[in-house]
Amino acid sequence: MENIQMLLKQGAIGKPCEPIVKVGDKVKKGTLIATPTGLGANVHSSVYGVVEEITDDRIIIKPDDEQPEKFVKIKKGTNLEMIAEAGVIGQGGAGFPTAIKLNANLDKGYVLVNAAECEPGLEHNIRQIIGDPEGLVRGLKYLMEIAGADKGIIAIKKKNRTAIEALDAILKDEPSVERHLLPDIYPMGEERAVVRECLGIELEPDKLPSAANAVVVNSETVYSCLEAIENQKPLIDKNITVRGRIAGGNEAHVFENVPVGTSVASLIERAGGIEGEYGEIIFGGSFTGRAGTLDEPITKTTGAILVTVPFLDLHGAKTGLLVCACGGNLERMQDLLSKYNGTETKVCYCKQAQEQKNGTRKCERPGNCPGQVQNNLDFKKAGCEYVIMGNCSDCSNTVMASGPKMGLKVIHMTDHAMRAVGHALYRTLRVSKQADQDLNVVDNVEND
Amino acid sequence: MSITAETAKQHANDPAVLCCRVEAGTELTPANLEDPAIFPDLVDSGLLNLDGALKIGQVLNGTKITKTVDSLTAITADIVDKFDAIETDSPAEEVVAAEEAPVEAAPVAAAPVAGGYISLHIGEGKNIDIQIPTGVGVPAVAGAAPVVSAGAAPAAAPAVVEEEKVVRELTRKHYLIEEVKRGPETKIEGTTLYIREGIEAEALAHHSITTDLKIEVITPDNYHTYSEAVMDVQPIATKESDDDDLGEGVTRVLDGVVTMVTGTTEEGVQIGEFGSSEGFIDENMQWGRPGAVDKGEIIIKYQVTILNGKNMERPGPMDAHCTVDFVTQEIRNAMKKLEDEPREVQVLQQVRRPGKKKVVIVKEIMGQGAMHDNYLFPIEPVGTLGAKPNVDLGNVPVAASPLEVLDGCIHALTCIGPASKEMSRHYWREPLVLEALHDEEIDLCGVIFVGSPQANTEKFYVSRRLGQMVEMLDVDGAFVTTEGFGNNHVDFVTHIENIGKRGIPVVGFSFCAVQGALVVGNKYCDAMVDLNKSMSGIENEVLECNCLCEEDAIRGIAMLKAKMAGEPILEAERKYNVNVKNNNLEIIEKATGRTVERVENEQSLPMSDKRREKYD
Repeated sequence: MENIQMLLKQGAIGKPCEPIVKVGDKVKKGTLIATPTGLGANVHSSVYGVVEEITDDRIIIKPDDEQPEKFVKIKKGTNLEMIAEAGVIGQGGAGFPTAIKLNANLDKGYVLVNAAECEPGLEHNIRQIIGDPEGLVRGLKYLMEIAGADKGIIAIKKKNRTAIEALDAILKDEPSVERHLLPDIYPMGEERAVVRECLGIELEPDKLPSAANAVVVNSETVYSCLEAIENQKPLIDKNITVRGRIAGGNEAHVFENVPVGTSVASLIERAGGIEGEYGEIIFGGSFTGRAGTLDEPITKTTGAILVTVPFLDLHGAKTGLLVCACGGNLERMQDLLSKYNGTETKVCYCKQAQEQKNGTRKCERPGNCPGQVQNNLDFKKAGCEYVIMGNCSDCSNTVMASGPKMGLKVIHMTDHAMRAVGHALYRTLRVSKQADQDLNVVDNVEND
Repeated sequence: MSITAETAKQHANDPAVLCCRVEAGTELTPANLEDPAIFPDLVDSGLLNLDGALKIGQVLNGTKITKTVDSLTAITADIVDKFDAIETDSPAEEVVAAEEAPVEAAPVAAAPVAGGYISLHIGEGKNIDIQIPTGVGVPAVAGAAPVVSAGAAPAAAPAVVEEEKVVRELTRKHYLIEEVKRGPETKIEGTTLYIREGIEAEALAHHSITTDLKIEVITPDNYHTYSEAVMDVQPIATKESDDDDLGEGVTRVLDGVVTMVTGTTEEGVQIGEFGSSEGFIDENMQWGRPGAVDKGEIIIKYQVTILNGKNMERPGPMDAHCTVDFVTQEIRNAMKKLEDEPREVQVLQQVRRPGKKKVVIVKEIMGQGAMHDNYLFPIEPVGTLGAKPNVDLGNVPVAASPLEVLDGCIHALTCIGPASKEMSRHYWREPLVLEALHDEEIDLCGVIFVGSPQANTEKFYVSRRLGQMVEMLDVDGAFVTTEGFGNNHVDFVTHIENIGKRGIPVVGFSFCAVQGALVVGNKYCDAMVDLNKSMSGIENEVLECNCLCEEDAIRGIAMLKAKMAGEPILEAERKYNVNVKNNNLEIIEKATGRTVERVENEQSLPMSDKRREKYD
C-alpha cells in the first residue's frame, strides 16, 4: 500500500494546520495529527501506520499492512462540538469549517441541503443518497437543531428520479423537511442559486445565506456530520467519482470511503487506468476544478477526478477568454488556453461576474444571463478567431446566439472533460430554467 | 448586455430587444433587455433585425413573453401578451453623446454668423481702422497670401467697435525674395538671398550628432526633386529689434522662400516614426496648407545626416534642427540689416471683446520625446535659441498669447505622421487662432499648449492640470486640437473630459476618419471636427494633407457657438462619412452667407509610386 499524504490545508480557504505528531510516531485510523492555527478544522489520520515524514504542507504516513475497520473515536460533547472535533468541512466547495457555519443561531430559519451535484459527470452524492436516504434526513434534522432552524429543504435536480422517490417516501412523514426540485442546468448548485431556488431570495454577491436566514450544507457533509454525532467518527474518508478516459469506458466509477490522503494515481488505477492519450487530470468538477497531477493526494474536499481527452491544437490562433464567476478564474482560463495552444488576444468578463473584496468573482444572478453580445463584439474587434468561455448554461446559450454568426469559433472550458465523460457540450440551452415541483410533470425541454 | 431601470427609462423610445433567452410566461424587466447603444453594430453585422420591434417604454409594464425565444430577438407584438401604446406627447429624444465619436457631429443649426465683421488694423506709417464683411474677405493669412494689404484696402466705411480692446499688436514686415544663391557672405540684396558658401562645415562643427549637412535650393521649376523625409517647414523670420519679445513689436519675414528640414541617419533610415514623406517633393507636399510650402515658393532644403540609431532618441532630431537653425540664424542676422522698405506691412492685433462669449484654444502638441517634441518660446520666430522643449517642461499646460502663436513661438520637431502633424509653419499661420481672433462674436482669451507625454499616468497628470487651468479662466467655451492620431488620443479625449466635466462646452479637432478613429472616448466628446482631407480617410504620408485648415476652423467655431448657445449637436454617425462635414459646411454657408473655400487633397498631386503601392 502506498504512503498516505495528509495535507495540512484540506480546503481552499483557511490556514494550514499545525502537526501535533512527529516522525516515527505510530498513528491509528482517527488519530488526531494536526490542529487548526486559525480558520480550519482538525485533521485525523485516515490509516494505521507510522509518520514517515513531515513537510511544510503535509504529513506523510507509511500505512501498516493490516488496516482494521475500527477507528479512534472522537470525544463526546454537544453535537456542534463533535462536528468541530471530527474536523468536518464543507465537501461541496471551498471547505469552510462546518461547525462554524452551523453556529448560526437562526431565528426559525432554514437548513438547505445542497444535493444538486451540479458539476456535470459527478455521481457520488446522488449514489450516497440512494444508498441511505434516511441518513440524509436524520442528519439534516440534527443540523436544523444545531442551527436553530425549524425548516429543512433538500435541493436536488429533478433528473435524479430514483433518489427523489426514495426521499419522498421518507419525507411524507416529516413535516419539517421538504425537497425542492432543481432544473438540470449549471450552476443550480451555487450556494446563492440554491437559496434563490428554494426561498425565492436573490442574495447580493457579497452576502452569505445567513442574510436569508439560512445555511446551505452539501449533502455529503450532512452524512459526515451524522457520522460524527452518532458514531463519533472523524472525517477521514471520502466518496469520489473517477471518470473520463478510463480503460473500460467512460461510466462513472464511484469509490466510497476512500481514505483521505490517497493518491490520485492509485484511484485511477483502481478504476482501470488511463486509456491512451489524455489532456489533463481535473480535481473536482470541470467548471470549478483545477488541473492536478497523478501523485497528488485527495483531500476532504476532493469530489471527483476527471481524466479528459487530449486538447485540440489551436496552432497559436488568436483567442479570446470569456471569464465568468461560474467557471474557471482568469488563471484557470489561461492555463486552459496554453493547453489549447491559443494566443491570448482579449479577456472579457461576464457582466455579472462581480469582483469581490478577496479578489474572487461571484455572479450577481447565478444562472440568469445578462447578455453576452457586447463581449462577442469585443472579441471580434480584437481579431479573435476562437473564444474559450467559462460560462453557465444560460450564458453559454447567449454566447452561441451571436458568436458563431460573427464567425467566432466557440469552445467551452469543459469541452475536453465533457467529451471524456460523454456529456453534452455546453452550447445551446435546450431545457427550461424552471422545474415544476411535481416530479411527474415534464418541463419544457426545447427551444421553440 | 442587460440594462438597468434607469437606462431603460433613458431609452424608452428605443427598440426593445432581448439580451438573453427568455422562456414563455416570463414577465419582462430591464434585466431581460439588451443595451440599445450596441444596436447599430449588431444591425450592421446582420445579427439583429429591428423590424416591428416595440419600444422599451411599451413593454415594461407587466408585459409577458408568450413564446420561448432566444437572445437578440426584437420584441414584437406577436410574442407578448400585451404592450402599452406609444405616448404621443413623449418628450423629444435627448441627443446622446457618441461615446466614441470617430466622426464629427453635425450641428443641427449653426449659430448665425451673418453680419459678422472682421476687424483688421493695417498700418504703414499711418494707422487705418477698417472693417470688412466676412463674406468679402477671409481672415488674414500672412506670408504668401495676405488677404488685405495696405495698397488694396477694401472700400468699407471706417467704424470703431466700442467694446473691443486691443491688448497688443504685432507688426509683420514682408520682404520678397525671388532668388536664392550661394555666395561669399550671407546677405540680402534686393530680392536675392545669398547664403554663405562653406557655412555647412561651420554648422557641423558646432554639432556632434549631425554628421553631414547639404543645402539645396529648390525653385518651382525643380519641385520634382527627391527629398528625404521632411522634418519641418519653417518661415524665415526675425525680430527687428533685440528688445522685441515674440508676439509683439516688429517681425521681419521673407516672402517667397521657406526653410525645409529633411534628413536620415547615416545608414539611410528616415527620421520618422509612423510613415515618412520622402520622395519627390511635388508628389508628397500638400501645397498651400498652413504648415506646408505654397506653390511658387523657393525651398531652401536642408538635408541632415545624423548618427545611426539617434533618430529615435531625443538628441538626434534636436541636433538636426539646431544645425539647420545655425544657418537660418545667419540669414536672420542678415535680415536685421535690411534697410529696404518692406513690400508690405501687416499689423496683427490681439483683440479682446468683453461681453462676448469667452473662449480658449487648447492645442495638444507632441511630447513623447525624440521627434515628438517642440521647442517653446524661442527668442527668434521659429528659432531654437532660448527655447525650452516641452518634454523638459513636463508637458504641463503653458499659456501663450494668440500673437505669440502667430509669431512662431513653436519650433516643431514633429517630423512624423506627415499628413497629420503640425509643422512649425502651421503655427505661424494657425487657422483656428486667426479665425477665432477675428470672430466678432467671441472673445478669444488665449492659447494653451499642452504636451502629450508617453505614459498614461503622465497624460492624466497634465490633463488634470489643464482642466484646472481652464476652470480658472472662467471661459464659456473651449477648443481642443491635436495633431497626429493614436496614442495622443488618450490625452486628447481626457482633456475634453476635464474641461467638459466642469460644465464648459468644448469642441475637439483631430484627424480621425478611417485610420485614426478614436480608440477611447467619453460623454463629453460629442462635438468633434474631423480634420481628414484625404480621399481614403488615412494617413497618406502626404505632408500636411490632414492638418487643421480654415474650413475646419470655421466648422469648429460654428459648432462651439451652437454648443454654447445650448443647441444640440447631432450624434455622430458610426462610420466616417465625409458628407457630414460637407453638410456642416453647407449649413454654415447658408446661415452666414459666407463662401468657405474647400481645400484640395492628395488627388490634386501627381501620383507617387509610394501612394500607388500603399494607399490609393
